[in-house]
Amino acid sequence: MLTLSSINRSFGAIQALKDADFEIGEAEVMGLVGENGAGKSTLVKIISGFDDGYSGEFMMDGIPVRFSSPSRAERAGIAIAQQELSLIPAMSVAENIFLAGDQVPLMATKNALSKRARPYLAEVGLDAVDPSIAVNRLSVGEQQLVEVARLLAHEPRVLILDEPTAALGESDSMRILAMVERLAASGKSIIYVSHRLDEIFKVCHRVTVLRDGMSQKARRASELDVHSLVESMLGRELHNMFPERASLKRDEPLLRVNGVWPDATVEPFNFEAYPGEILGLAGQLGSGSGDVLAAIGGASGTRDGKITFDGRDFMPRSPKEAIAAGIAYCSDDRKLDGLFLGRPIKENLTSPALNKISAFGFLQHGIERGLASLNAEKFTVDVSRMRTEAGLLSGGNQQKVALGKWLAIEPKVILVNEPTRGVDVGARAEIYRKLREFADEGKAVVFASTDIQEITGLADRVITFYRGMQIGEIAMDSMSAATVLEQITHPFPPAAEVAEP
Amino acid sequence: MTSDLIGGARNAATGFVDRLVRDYSGLVVCLIALFLIVFIAGMVTAPNFLTIFNFKTIIRDAALVGIMAVGLTFVTLSGNFFLLSMKETAALSIICFATSMSAGYGFEISFLLTMAIALVAGAAQGALIGLGGNPIVVTLGAAGLLFGLGSWWSDNLVVSFRRPHGAEWLGTGSFLGLPNITIAFILIAVTAELVLRYTKFGRQVYLVGANRAAGRATGHENFAMAIKVCIIASLCSAFVAVAFSAQVSSAHVNYFSSEFGSSGDMTIMVIATVMVGGNSIMGGFGSTLRSSLGAIFISTVDNMMVLHGFNSGPRVLAVGLMIVFSIIVFALVRRGARAQE
Repeated sequence: MLTLSSINRSFGAIQALKDADFEIGEAEVMGLVGENGAGKSTLVKIISGFDDGYSGEFMMDGIPVRFSSPSRAERAGIAIAQQELSLIPAMSVAENIFLAGDQVPLMATKNALSKRARPYLAEVGLDAVDPSIAVNRLSVGEQQLVEVARLLAHEPRVLILDEPTAALGESDSMRILAMVERLAASGKSIIYVSHRLDEIFKVCHRVTVLRDGMSQKARRASELDVHSLVESMLGRELHNMFPERASLKRDEPLLRVNGVWPDATVEPFNFEAYPGEILGLAGQLGSGSGDVLAAIGGASGTRDGKITFDGRDFMPRSPKEAIAAGIAYCSDDRKLDGLFLGRPIKENLTSPALNKISAFGFLQHGIERGLASLNAEKFTVDVSRMRTEAGLLSGGNQQKVALGKWLAIEPKVILVNEPTRGVDVGARAEIYRKLREFADEGKAVVFASTDIQEITGLADRVITFYRGMQIGEIAMDSMSAATVLEQITHPFPPAAEVAEP
Repeated sequence: MTSDLIGGARNAATGFVDRLVRDYSGLVVCLIALFLIVFIAGMVTAPNFLTIFNFKTIIRDAALVGIMAVGLTFVTLSGNFFLLSMKETAALSIICFATSMSAGYGFEISFLLTMAIALVAGAAQGALIGLGGNPIVVTLGAAGLLFGLGSWWSDNLVVSFRRPHGAEWLGTGSFLGLPNITIAFILIAVTAELVLRYTKFGRQVYLVGANRAAGRATGHENFAMAIKVCIIASLCSAFVAVAFSAQVSSAHVNYFSSEFGSSGDMTIMVIATVMVGGNSIMGGFGSTLRSSLGAIFISTVDNMMVLHGFNSGPRVLAVGLMIVFSIIVFALVRRGARAQE
């Protein structure tokens, strides 16, 4: 019923979609998969009317259409549930469902609203929820279902679910999947976007794979298996982007993580990092791989556990203690806590090491200039711009400063969560080279990433995570994108899945 | 030949302005320019304006508000917003100082006692803010508490002590023709600016103010910071209370509420001064130099309006206009700086 053909969309020099085709039939669940940056979100935006700067043909029921705004798409019967919920927490479930207000009488009473809300709640499997209670009393998964119920109130024909389970645990995810099956059975067409391949196999009839903005012909899910799907998702090789690995002798670990249980995860983690090694923690959003780094860096709390660092017991209660011990932790959100955007680059680069650039409480401006320029040069940040505000730099340069500042404390271990999020290709290569150099100096690098290429290209050894659990360890010689992807999306053997009803 | 000379002079002049803008940011230049305009306007329209006596008055009037504003600037720069208890801290301090003086303890002991009380008050507020308390709520609560204590201690009466007393040198004394309180203002303003620019603590104030989360991530906790800056602001308040009490040889809890400045409320005047100076309310950008200039600027405008016979209504209005104007210029200059890159 929806057919898009030869869709092209570019942003500046980057072509996000190249002659992409997409179709979905009546009462069909179509999976949409691809790596980060493959063009999934661009395609979804075009279908849902958020983006009309494309060229190509978009037909609905055989009639050419073009939606210039989300509300027009919605009127045509296309609704999208985005990753960020748009519910108002303090309002009741029923009030949220009829928030737009165009389907209900002007002066509807609470009871009338609740009565009208019930059928939609039943459709998403929330029969048991009282429509008059406030949304913030529901679990995140239930809120996600309310969001879909809200869309259903507009009686859409096509429903787009963009990573609906990204922030959910196992049981809430099951409810979402059950809802998808029910809605498809009642005749709705559903576009299901997800990184979690097990879900794709559970609910989708067909799967469309996007790679580098190009689409591959949709295939029946029953004809596919995890390996063939992963193969078609990956493609382009970027070997020269990553620096050569040095040969590595592992004797004594520099950092031993023993049963460390971050607040946000399901179970405690165990691993160790050796001097000279780059250890990759692979996992999707919400897998816990970043949480354990934050815990070691003292940035977030832990329930339990022991860390041995450099032969001594060590459990930081704040980043300050971690820094004093020689551990640098760089979070995945540089704007939040990685940079002082309004301060000059120079001050950013020396910010963790004020003790090094001061004597008796007084700053030594000469020493500061030297230290800042040295580390700027190492990360190829323009030294002549040292007095520029960090906020004026491009994303790639900002990330270089956010990382580069940690060189100032001369850490023994550097922990990086998402080393290259939102960073262009050139800066990425430089960051990888720098992390490798750092490891070659006999220090340890531990990084967490959702980017498979980054994991396989940079890491000497990989630990995989899935929904707050530690899954496995992949050594250098058995490392491949397919193994990593399989472990972080589909960690249980396919046989077990088949056994389920 | 002459044209070369003129051209060279012009180049030098624009170069000088460029350097000013670059080194001290546009706003300070704007403030100085505006100050000059007001200054010239004052010179032309008010015959008494351009007298040395009047300048001394301007700076002396600026001193008390200015000292408090310099203290409060540390709080604002560190991203902890404002202390709404500035005037109440001063109220309790002035009662403490005058009571101690009238009991015959002498200047030194009275001064130290007052400072000790202000230090405790500042540290307590700072600790609560540092633990995550909202600065407005915490300091509003503290304001009531401190004022209540001062009022209770003094039975809401004027506490006076007889001249001659050991504090006269601070209140009414002068050195080389400058009132000592003016000298104190200059010394405090210069010291504060040097601390901000050249010490590790000063750098931490800016970093924590610019981004508290990044501050924590790089080992600079706001807890310790909030306590330190609140103590500084409180001590400045107490110092002003002591100086004012020394001047009038008496104290009353309402001295800083009704009989002060053109707007009549010391806390509001101090916050206005920090804002007119163009310090970022969100923290991380600004300086105590700006606050000092702000104090002198407000005082100059106020002085001119007094010379022209305006009563307090229009003078309060003028302070309000200056704040609005300063915020607009501040926003424009910041945007301009970004556009240049």
